[in-house]
Amino acid sequence: MLKSPASSQTKPLAVNQTKQRTKTTFALNAKDKYYAWIFLGPSLLILSVFIFYPMIKTLYLSLFLTNTVGKPTVFVGLSNYISLLTSADYLSSLGVTMVYVFAVTILTIAIGLVLANYASKELAGIGIFRTLFSATMGVSVSVAAIFWLFIFNPSTGFLSLISTWLHLPQIGWLTDPTAAMIAVTITTVWMNLGFTFLILLGAIQSVPTTLYEAANVEGASPRYQFLHITIPMISPTLFFVSIITLIEAFKSFGLIDLMTKGGPTNATNMLVYRIYKDAFYSGNFAQASAESIILTAIIALFTWLQFKILEKRVNY
Amino acid sequence: MIKNWITFIKKHWFPVVAAVVIVLGVVVVGSARNATTAKAGRTPIVFWHEMGGPAEQALDKMVDSFNKSQDKYEVIPQYEGVYDEAVQKIIQSHGTSASPAVFQSFDISTAQMMHSKYTTPVQKFMNEDKSFDASKISPVARSFYSNKGQQLALPFNTSQPVLYYNATLLKKYKITPPSKSPSYSDVTRVAEQLYKRSHHQVKGMTIEIYGWLMEEALANAHTSLINHGDGHAGNPTKINLKNPTTVKFLKWIRTNIKSGDFVNYGSGASAETNEIAAFLAGKLGIFVQSSAYIGQLTTGNKDKLGISYFPHPDGVKANGVGIGGAALWISNDKPKKVQKGAYEFMKFALNAKNQANWQAATGYLALNKDSQKQAALKKLYAKQPEARVPGEQLASAKPNDTNSGILMEGMQLTRELEQTAMESVYEGGSINKALTTASQSMNASLKTTNRADKK
Repeated sequence: MLKSPASSQTKPLAVNQTKQRTKTTFALNAKDKYYAWIFLGPSLLILSVFIFYPMIKTLYLSLFLTNTVGKPTVFVGLSNYISLLTSADYLSSLGVTMVYVFAVTILTIAIGLVLANYASKELAGIGIFRTLFSATMGVSVSVAAIFWLFIFNPSTGFLSLISTWLHLPQIGWLTDPTAAMIAVTITTVWMNLGFTFLILLGAIQSVPTTLYEAANVEGASPRYQFLHITIPMISPTLFFVSIITLIEAFKSFGLIDLMTKGGPTNATNMLVYRIYKDAFYSGNFAQASAESIILTAIIALFTWLQFKILEKRVNY
Repeated sequence: MIKNWITFIKKHWFPVVAAVVIVLGVVVVGSARNATTAKAGRTPIVFWHEMGGPAEQALDKMVDSFNKSQDKYEVIPQYEGVYDEAVQKIIQSHGTSASPAVFQSFDISTAQMMHSKYTTPVQKFMNEDKSFDASKISPVARSFYSNKGQQLALPFNTSQPVLYYNATLLKKYKITPPSKSPSYSDVTRVAEQLYKRSHHQVKGMTIEIYGWLMEEALANAHTSLINHGDGHAGNPTKINLKNPTTVKFLKWIRTNIKSGDFVNYGSGASAETNEIAAFLAGKLGIFVQSSAYIGQLTTGNKDKLGISYFPHPDGVKANGVGIGGAALWISNDKPKKVQKGAYEFMKFALNAKNQANWQAATGYLALNKDSQKQAALKKLYAKQPEARVPGEQLASAKPNDTNSGILMEGMQLTRELEQTAMESVYEGGSINKALTTASQSMNASLKTTNRADKK
């Protein structure tokens, strides 16, 4: 290769610069420490006021009984935890939450994946579908809840109209315990779908097309391509989406509050909603604190499990 | 000059930004505070309430006329969301500069407010004030917010559960309407006939899954839910939901569910919306609900509305039902002058004219005896004669322990548990089992509450 005189002149200079750079040490001097505090200070302050202090206080309150005005009075050790974990009511809430969380996570990802896979095909007018499928991202929880409440309305709702036309038995969507759970799950999945779809669509589109071309040459079926190229290639995104959806499902509050208020017969009384009810309705801050700590432990456990189990199957 | 400024900012950007943020923060907080300051020479009385919609407008009007009626105080109304959430807001903000001088808190928070010791009993001001004639105010409403002869708070917006029926539909199917104070079997008769004669096109009745209605069923049958005379004779220690009266009430509902004339709309605000929608559409004959809905049920209703008293079990004399709604309380963390102002406002809110206007505008019952002679109510009765019935029911009840509310802390949880019990019965579960479970949870919670409060 021919080299221009100019480039041969600049090269030694660049080498010189890198040499100088490697010499610098990474020890913090006094000025750096000053900057560290400036940069970390605000977030540390905000975190300690709004996260660490409440967490410690929650832990503290959970070891007491609280009186009318929410002040801790009697130290009871772990008895709040024991009475919670032996109460049939709380355990049923726990069970209900698990069913809901897994149903929401699995359905959201499955439907999101199917939609994203179809929407990733380059067809005429596909943009319309992409917009439609991701539209729920722009819908707030309250709007979604009201929208679905109309659909589930027992007298004038869309679903009850359909079952009247088809002469099917009426379902009390929000008054029957099983149906209410299904109704809340459908609504949550619908709400989450936009975000999941968009993230998965982005992931699918960034899979190198050469892989598919090679597979086509080999004569692999679309299904085989999806399972053996698309899924492994987007596994980091699937992992991310599954964690986010799972945690969001655990934290689900707005929809429950607006649609069922935890009813009927506590069939949709999820852990987070229960904490809110116990603290801000019943004024039982001690019990609510114990519930919060248990919820934190559960979410931490699931996140850890996901990292342990799912991460092994992720191809980065 | 400008150049100097820029170099200064470049050198000391952090303190400058911090200073700007602090100044802005102070300005924002300061201007927010301004909203609660009164006109010169007047003592500001911050008033927290939970009235939304048309009731809020009527309340603002009342506050406005109070402020115009004198020049010592200025009441500043602030909407605080729904009842259930406001209770903790009031308790947790006590003793801070943000706390209200006078606040509205709902019926079942009475014991909580009493135990908190955050309020000055109104009785103290009533004793000093000879101009206020408490006997004009409905006795059953007064007794709800009093303990051992001492008035803790003054009732304000008050409703009672009544039985609504579609008089036009009953006439169409030639059904005798329920009597003025109907028994359970009388209501069942009407509901079943309506369902049958309309060829299942019209549902007979519904009762919302709502602990309040179950408690009122107990009150009307002169049965206590908790010991020590529903808490009026001393702090309660035992709850008994599984008593013959509750069983009778739930069996009555079950009978109707079995014969198909009963429709379940569930619980909460959506249940109320749905039952009213069905009632107005002529698809539901009877429902039991708060008298505060009367306005909604008369405007835009093409059918004639019928109203009866809350039903009572067969063979039991109706004891009269307790009230629902909310009372006005005075916080004790404010100076004497402010508390006096709060009391003056409460007195004003309860005068004959204001109570009459209040009922005409909202459907809450006028608590002052003299309100019935006021122009606003006369006009209302001329237009809707049936609007008299809830007021008559209120006036007919003689206060005793069972119809003066349940004076126990933790009523919000009790309501939840009652609701869960009702839900499981509506879905076909065993009545005994549902009531036993609820009673156990209630007693466990009461035990903890009493233990925590002792210290």
